[in-house]
Amino acid sequence: MGLPSDSGDLSSEMDVDAYRRLFPTHFYEKHLSLSIRPDSRPLGKARDTTLALGAVGSVDGSALAKIGSTTMLAAIKMEVMTPCTESPNEGSIVIEFHMPPICSPIVRPGRPAEAAPVLSKQLSDTILSSGMINLKELCLIHGKAAWMAYLDIYCLDADGALFDAALLSAIGAFSHLQIPTVSLTDNGKIVVLLDEDESRKLGKEPVNSGKKKLTINNIPFSLTCILYKNYILADPTAEEESIMETLVTVVLDSSARLVSFYKPGGPVLAYMSAIQDCVALTRQRVKELQKILDEAVSGMEVD
Amino acid sequence: MENGRDDGRTPNQLRPLACSRSILHRAHGSASWCQGDTKVLAAVYGPKAGTKKNENPEKACIEVIWKPETGQIGKAEKENEMILKRTLQSICILTINPNTTTSVIIQVVNDDGALLVCAINAACAALVDAGIPLKHLAVAICCCLAKDGHVILDPTKSEEQKMKGFAYLVFPNSVLSALTEGSVAKGELMEHGIITSVTQGVISVEDYFKCLDRGRAASSKLSDFLRRSLKLQLPSDLSKVG
Amino acid sequence: MASKHGAPPTTYSPSPTRKPHQPVFSDSDADWVRPDGRGFHQCRPAFFRTAAVSAASGSAYAEFGNTKVIVSVFGPRESKKAMMYSDVGRLNCNVTYTTFATPIRGQGSDHKEFSSMLHKALEGAIMLETFPKTTVDVFALVLESGGSDLPVVVSCASLALADAGIMMYDLVAGVSVSCLGKNLVIDPILEEESCQDGSLMITCMPSRYEVSQLTVTGEWSTGNLNEAMQLCLDACSKLAKIMRSCLKEAASASHS
Repeated sequence: MGLPSDSGDLSSEMDVDAYRRLFPTHFYEKHLSLSIRPDSRPLGKARDTTLALGAVGSVDGSALAKIGSTTMLAAIKMEVMTPCTESPNEGSIVIEFHMPPICSPIVRPGRPAEAAPVLSKQLSDTILSSGMINLKELCLIHGKAAWMAYLDIYCLDADGALFDAALLSAIGAFSHLQIPTVSLTDNGKIVVLLDEDESRKLGKEPVNSGKKKLTINNIPFSLTCILYKNYILADPTAEEESIMETLVTVVLDSSARLVSFYKPGGPVLAYMSAIQDCVALTRQRVKELQKILDEAVSGMEVD
Repeated sequence: MENGRDDGRTPNQLRPLACSRSILHRAHGSASWCQGDTKVLAAVYGPKAGTKKNENPEKACIEVIWKPETGQIGKAEKENEMILKRTLQSICILTINPNTTTSVIIQVVNDDGALLVCAINAACAALVDAGIPLKHLAVAICCCLAKDGHVILDPTKSEEQKMKGFAYLVFPNSVLSALTEGSVAKGELMEHGIITSVTQGVISVEDYFKCLDRGRAASSKLSDFLRRSLKLQLPSDLSKVG
Repeated sequence: MASKHGAPPTTYSPSPTRKPHQPVFSDSDADWVRPDGRGFHQCRPAFFRTAAVSAASGSAYAEFGNTKVIVSVFGPRESKKAMMYSDVGRLNCNVTYTTFATPIRGQGSDHKEFSSMLHKALEGAIMLETFPKTTVDVFALVLESGGSDLPVVVSCASLALADAGIMMYDLVAGVSVSCLGKNLVIDPILEEESCQDGSLMITCMPSRYEVSQLTVTGEWSTGNLNEAMQLCLDACSKLAKIMRSCLKEAASASHS
């Protein structure tokens, strides 16, 4: 490959796509110096974001979140477990993040993506430590039975900011979650009541009538930013993430408290000013995401 | 009880540090690092030829393998591997040995809080011991925020469990950096930037900044210790490299 | 900081496990209706969309009732290092299920043979000689399993291949028929599949009138078998028309 200094001269002669692939940093620096990104976004702006609740029919709660082309499908299935002795009145949440081979050219079957278990852990930490879900609400019978919520998040299209999209889809799925009405059978099993009124006549009392929805407090929302030289780029695409490697993910809850400030290394150091800027960008983004969530939830209620 | 720490330390006081290098004979570089009862062993092999798939062959590649005290590795260990890998990548000069892989193996000997931080410090010392070219050293520190809003440093495991939240922070140590062009940030000293930040628990943004301040102050003490212990063993190192 | 303690507890699904009850599909008469109210020889409405995954070279999404499938195509790209030199291209297929695809969590892994069946169904339609030494990867993810999963995956995969610009002799359309007693039902849903006496699946290239795969399982009479094959072939050519119009729409949208 030619010396990087050659690229300045080549940019006028070369096809744009070829230049973009051969000299990605120069290509980006030319854009950044004009405060614009190749997809015509300003540096601090996130991509178009949508959230659709109830995308999967066969589960208790689901949501499809899209940030730009990054697509996440989250689904919650409720199962019953015996709570552990330390917390007999609490249910549990298991969060699994999957990157199937369809989502990205770097994932191959049989060789799971390195990022998947790390993101699973990050999502569990964020959702559980934010206190968004009160685990006591997942209790059915003290010490005997409680809900185990299996939250599976599938990445259908990976184009950067995976954590942000996954967290949004998870929140959407919890907002959509309808807890089934169940009763206790004679042999101590919990069974779904298909028709509440009819089973009342048969003398089967539902264990959890009137607890259809979880109360969701302090919803965490996140924004991933790239630090590159003195620039801060919000909501990066996969291409941007691969070229400019320093990522910062800030998670704030609805009352603007910090749930996570995550910067796993990277060649660029985060100085106080950059940290403050990232937090400020996230504050704005939280408002946008809250609105998107509210619209998705109210859209469900109309139906 | 003003600070109320189990072992009678002041909030800003670190546990006794210990570092020894070249403790493994087969590895190209190794180090053990203790912070109180937390002890981690790090071994470095490499640079070896070739990089893993999907890695940039024009740069050196760092691989981190985390060996827990007992049992198999799970998601938490995978996350630690990733954080450690990204952190070490940012302090190594990757362009010097392109298309090579350096393996860093972390063996947890005992976990009594601030484990990840201890592993980062151990890995950094082991990289120096192996003679891997570095831009600068990195020092890691764990800051905890107690329920009453106090910040304490370097918690033990029992302290960690009582806390409202904590932050693992990694700072560069640039006083004698070999690299000059990197330190051009306006108005702020290089050692004020953070390489890595991982937080747990819900805290206010102000409290996070408080943690940053305290961590930054303590990091100079840590880096002095690191530098001292590296210097102390320098002669043996020279003979080994030569 | 809630620390994780030990192994996760065992859980069970509270939904009542109903045995496939034969009475619904009594073979005495033809007076029962299909659970979704379709006629016996009527397919579910098919919905296709190409370019569903931006990260892939080509992709398609298919929805037949509750069966929802995404297929991504990558390549042609470098073959695995261990592969020997080959004059013709390689096709690599993989089918996976989401954990929530089936009514009981995590049961989708029972379909290990689907990957090789998808490979066999597509292999004959692709001009492998147009990409020597390289590999085309076809990865399918069944988002929701609602019956007739494999034929839907095959049709969706051929559309994704077309979207990726991989040279093919024709689109491949797949349809299956279930035999329930004396009756033949086309494009069966999960409930029907669970109590079928036999099933037949055809994947074919309708413009060339060539069958790329034919599988028959269970009990069949010759008469039923002939009828079922004809049903499938007719349905395949109709399906291919829908697939073709989806491709045309996508092409005209990108031109304008």
